[in-house]
Amino acid sequence: MPIDAATSALNLSFPPTTTAGFVVPQSRSFTVSVNPVVLFSILDHYLRRQENQHRVIGTLLGVRSEDGSEVEVRNCFPVPHDETQNQNQVAVDMEYHHNMFELHKKVNAKEIIVGWYATGSNLNQWNALIQDFYSKEVMPPFQAIHLTMDTDLKNEEKLLGVKTYVGAPIGISAKPENCLFLPVPCDVKYFDAERSGLDLLASAKDELSRSTSLISDMDNLEKTIVAVQKMLERISDYVNKVLDGSIPSNNTIGRFLMDTISVVPKIDKAEFEKMFNSHLQDLLMVVYLANMTRTQLAIAERLQLLV
Amino acid sequence: MSASGTPTTPKETLSNVNVTAALDVEGNFPLESVQIDGLVVLKIIKHCREFFPSPVTGQLLGLDVNGVLEVTNCFPFPGAKAEDENELVDGARYQVDMMRCLREVNVDNNTVGWYQSTYLGSFVTHKLIETQYNYQQTFNNKSVVIVHDVSRSTHSNLSLRAFRFSQAFMEAQKEDKFTTESLIKNKLTFSNIFEELPITVKNSHLVTALLHSLDDYEHVIPKSASLDKEKVVSPLSPNFDTLELSLDPYIEKNLEFLLESVEEHTQEQNTYAFWQRSVAREQTKIQVALQKRKQENVSRLASGLEPLPEDDIHKNHKLPAEPSRLDSLLITSQINNYCKQLNQYSGPTLGKLFISGELQK
Repeated sequence: MPIDAATSALNLSFPPTTTAGFVVPQSRSFTVSVNPVVLFSILDHYLRRQENQHRVIGTLLGVRSEDGSEVEVRNCFPVPHDETQNQNQVAVDMEYHHNMFELHKKVNAKEIIVGWYATGSNLNQWNALIQDFYSKEVMPPFQAIHLTMDTDLKNEEKLLGVKTYVGAPIGISAKPENCLFLPVPCDVKYFDAERSGLDLLASAKDELSRSTSLISDMDNLEKTIVAVQKMLERISDYVNKVLDGSIPSNNTIGRFLMDTISVVPKIDKAEFEKMFNSHLQDLLMVVYLANMTRTQLAIAERLQLLV
Repeated sequence: MSASGTPTTPKETLSNVNVTAALDVEGNFPLESVQIDGLVVLKIIKHCREFFPSPVTGQLLGLDVNGVLEVTNCFPFPGAKAEDENELVDGARYQVDMMRCLREVNVDNNTVGWYQSTYLGSFVTHKLIETQYNYQQTFNNKSVVIVHDVSRSTHSNLSLRAFRFSQAFMEAQKEDKFTTESLIKNKLTFSNIFEELPITVKNSHLVTALLHSLDDYEHVIPKSASLDKEKVVSPLSPNFDTLELSLDPYIEKNLEFLLESVEEHTQEQNTYAFWQRSVAREQTKIQVALQKRKQENVSRLASGLEPLPEDDIHKNHKLPAEPSRLDSLLITSQINNYCKQLNQYSGPTLGKLFISGELQK
């Protein structure tokens, strides 16, 4: 899901080009998917910036799909930079960038440089200069991705707008400052294993202290079940209201509900009893054995101290 | 605090207290809990997941304030290579380089511990003991090891635990003697090797704003390829993975590991029994030799010669050294872990089983 206001822009890709009779299929247009780690990392860097800096920049690492149409941004690291008073000059610590990239490569050799990020939503000349630098870092013919994060929260909906761009040359002469940033659709994607971590962090967002502690498995199950219960209550409420006639019925919703409820498998009662009991027995036996082992260990522990 | 005895202003004393609490070099404030930043949680999960199932480690950075260890950042260590010699040097250099680079971007440059990924809770190994001992010794009891279990975190609650060694274990490890008497002296059993610290997760304000905007699924964006509007699900929509019913793979693996540990445990017991038997044998031999010596002495006294000393008998028959009990401690601790895991897993599974039973009625 993109974390920005809905734009009315459509992203179209060029029709497939034919080169010497060989058609290059371009079925998907360029998309970028971002891992939540990257977003959190950018915010953390922004929080720790120096006193006089309004913006911070850094490098994005990730993987690219084989035909180059989908880029996955998986990791990032900050790079110190300096914006002097003179608007035309900006200094980026390139050696730092190379060093950090080497260090990161030692841990994970698959991640390559795919672009750079900056906080602050406007794009100006120094953005173009840095985009040019990064385009040289990213192996041609692929483009460097530029990700911006609106930490000033200046847009209308007060969202942390995350936008991604690709640079394109504009103007008569091919100078580095002449660059047009083309917006590219971006998405937040994560793996299953990260889901539970993200959920835990999300539960902290509703607390005043912004912190939460880890909960046990049973509590987690309880939370999920309560959520399902609430949903079922809402649905039954709605259905009752429709039956009473207070809300006009909607065929689509009704059909959708029917489909959902019929997903529950209808198993023959005796069969189900058998499966249920055997499953239960397995589980209880394992629990019994585990507890017996623990008791044994506890006794041994006491005895050991007495010797 | 001034010489004339006038009381210092409350503000001064307050800042003094904070500074002394933060710069607690002597280790006077014991650690009560660990507070992890949201970023660190995600980074640990990402690193551990990428190299699943081989174990990976990394360093934790942060600061300890008032008995709470705040972890604000972390970085992963590169994986183990074939040649050990180069690996040690590279590892140290990597650490130094990384810390230097991070300092330039104002990340807390203070090591507060390390993290490790584990597979089904099998983390009580010699390597862990050595590393944690080094860390705890160097940083004056202010370092923890955070263990993340990837296989448990998928489809269920996040499994993240913070451990440090108990005082008793540190003492025993210092002497490096794990005989039965030293264990009794330090009151050390398998259950008090580790102390588990409670973890809280804290987010900064900007991150909270980000989480709120991720949650807002009113935005509908047309997909680029097709023109019909698809409602996109937000990343934070309710997660129902915990309601999955399959139990066999997890329990099976757990039981396998448990069996292996129990086998190792019996091996340790056998070694100990063997040692006991050999000690008994030596004792009888010494007794026999002593008897003979006594008889000889009596006969020598009778013939007027000097009695032979009995000391060199003891010197000739040395008792074999007691094998270290550390291994058996570790193994029993691991077995305990597995059993606890089985229990913790079966609790919710029973619940889910009965729910599906109810649905059928």
